[in-house]
Amino acid sequence: MKFRCFVSLDNRIGHMKFSKSRGVNSLGTDLKEKIGMEFDEYTFKVEAGKIKEFALAIGDLKEEYLKGEKVPPTFPTVIDFWGEGISTSVLLGLNMKKVLHGGMEYEYIGKMNPGDEMTVTGIVEDVYTKAAMNFVIIKKEYINQHGETVLISRSTTIERH
Amino acid sequence: MEVGYQFEPLNKKEITHTQLVRYAGASGDFNQIHTVVPFAVEAGLGGVIAHGMLIMGFVSQAIGHWFHIDNLAKFSVRFKAMTKPGERISVVGRIVEETEERWICEAKALNEEGEVKVSAAFEVKK
Repeated sequence: MKFRCFVSLDNRIGHMKFSKSRGVNSLGTDLKEKIGMEFDEYTFKVEAGKIKEFALAIGDLKEEYLKGEKVPPTFPTVIDFWGEGISTSVLLGLNMKKVLHGGMEYEYIGKMNPGDEMTVTGIVEDVYTKAAMNFVIIKKEYINQHGETVLISRSTTIERH
Repeated sequence: MEVGYQFEPLNKKEITHTQLVRYAGASGDFNQIHTVVPFAVEAGLGGVIAHGMLIMGFVSQAIGHWFHIDNLAKFSVRFKAMTKPGERISVVGRIVEETEERWICEAKALNEEGEVKVSAAFEVKK
C-alpha cells in the first residue's frame, strides 16, 4: 500500500481524472490542471470531547479547551482530517513520501462554537512550481449550521520533486 | 501594550514520539512520516518529524497566554524547518504594528539552538 489508490478516488472528486502512471517529473504539469478543482463538501460537529483531546495533544491546558467551552485556533485541522476522512494530499494524488506542509493561514471572520455543525467547502486556489518543488494552495470555507461563514483557511502543501 | 512590546516566551516540554502519535490521533493526520519511523526513514527524513500543525498549535497556545483568544482575527504561519522528537520548542513574539482596531504581531517557534521552525503573523482585535 503506497498510496497508489488515488485512481479509485475519482468518484470522491467528481470531474477530476488522474493518470494511472505518472512520473514524478510530470506532476507539475498535471497539478496545474487542478487549479479550480473543488473538493466534496464535508460536515463535522465540533464536539467538546474532541476539543479536549486535541488540546491535550498540543499540551495546551487552557481550562476553556479542556472543558470544551472554546475552540482552539488550530482546531479546524481536526475538522479537515476527521471530517473529510482522507487527506487532500491523497485526493490530489501527491506522493506522500514527498509531501510537506508549507504554511497555513486562518482568517477568523466569525466565531466557531463548541456544538456547531460545520460544513466545509474546499477549492484548489493555485498551483505553482518553484525550486524543484510543487506548491498547492487550498482554500477552505467553514460554514456553520446557520449558514454563516466563520472561517477561511489557506493551506500550502509542498511536494518535493 | 505598545508597538515593540515583547511577550513572555512560552517554553514547551520536549517533543516525544508519544506526543506525535497522540497528535496524529487527535488531529486525524495519520501521514506516516509523523509516526512510523521506517516510513519516515524511507522518505529520506532520517526519522519521524512533528506535524507542522502541532507547532502551529504551540504558537496558538502562546497567543492564548498573550491575548484573549476570542480576539484573534488572523493567524498565519510558514513552516521553516522540520521538528523532531527530542527537540524543545519555545515560542517568542512581539507587537510590530497597530491600527485603530488591531494589534499586528509576529511570533516564532524556535528550538534550543535558535533554529526557527515556524514563523507566524497574527492580528488581534483591540
